[in-house]
Amino acid sequence: MRVFTCYFCSGPVYPGHGMMFVRNDSKVFRFCRSKCHKNFKMKRNPRKVAWTKSYRKAHGKEMVYDKALAVSAARRNVPVRYDRNVVATTLTAMKRSAHIHAKRERMFVKKRLSGKKSQQLSEAQKLVGQNVPQFAEKETVEEKEPSEPQEAQVVSDEEYAMDEEPAEAVKVPVAATKKRKNKKSRGEGAMDMD
Amino acid sequence: MIGLKGMLKVIDNSGATLAECIRVVRAGQFASVGDEVVVVVKKSRTGPNIATANKVKRGDIHHAVVVRTKFPLRRADGRYVRFDDNACVLVNKDREPVGTRILSVVANELRMKNHTKLASLAPRTV
Repeated sequence: MRVFTCYFCSGPVYPGHGMMFVRNDSKVFRFCRSKCHKNFKMKRNPRKVAWTKSYRKAHGKEMVYDKALAVSAARRNVPVRYDRNVVATTLTAMKRSAHIHAKRERMFVKKRLSGKKSQQLSEAQKLVGQNVPQFAEKETVEEKEPSEPQEAQVVSDEEYAMDEEPAEAVKVPVAATKKRKNKKSRGEGAMDMD
Repeated sequence: MIGLKGMLKVIDNSGATLAECIRVVRAGQFASVGDEVVVVVKKSRTGPNIATANKVKRGDIHHAVVVRTKFPLRRADGRYVRFDDNACVLVNKDREPVGTRILSVVANELRMKNHTKLASLAPRTV
């Protein structure tokens, strides 16, 4: 019983899962699920299909070569006589190299995604520069709102409560959206502009 | 799933290239890998010297053993195997191959269905 790797997505193929396809030139293709099998039948190249590992490696989204794994992989395929100590050290080495490899992969992805803050800042500045009149308008709207409740008070006692509530209600959502915009969707707004 | 009228590629050097199934020897409608089948030779290899060397001519009726199916086969570990086409090897009544060589890959099921000679002739079994 062996866990193979899917030809298309490079995921594990456990026993009882997936399909094995044998081409007439004796080349064997294993697939982990029908999704991969169907894509293969459509003659799609896994290196061009975004959700596969081979795409991610080909496009530099994930670390391709790691020295930590090379320690184990580059070993000769000569079988070694069983020795309890060798087995113990091999197991600890495997665990350690897997741990290091995982750490390095995480660092790689982190580095890849880290350049965004400066980009977001520059895009936000560009947006502000382009839409200066819009930002000026928002300031005048703020000046208007404090005057409205004053007028509502003058009208009557019955309408007093009704008018105040909508004025207060109007204030709160505007403040909330402004806060949200400042935090997150600045970058997205800039991208929509593009 | 080879049944009546199923076309099979012949992958030995008996001279036939295409065979049509006219009878499935075992009880049931369809033949799978390792099952015996009665076929009519629909196409044979042509050419100046080849025609005389052919053991089998167009229109001949022969027994054959199915060695590859496009329909997935279930293996004991739950895996399924699928080949690219349907193929057979011509045999005589004693289940001995008519040709002397097999030209491409065959399924491992042949070993389990007592066609060890065919399995050993094949360049590759999967």
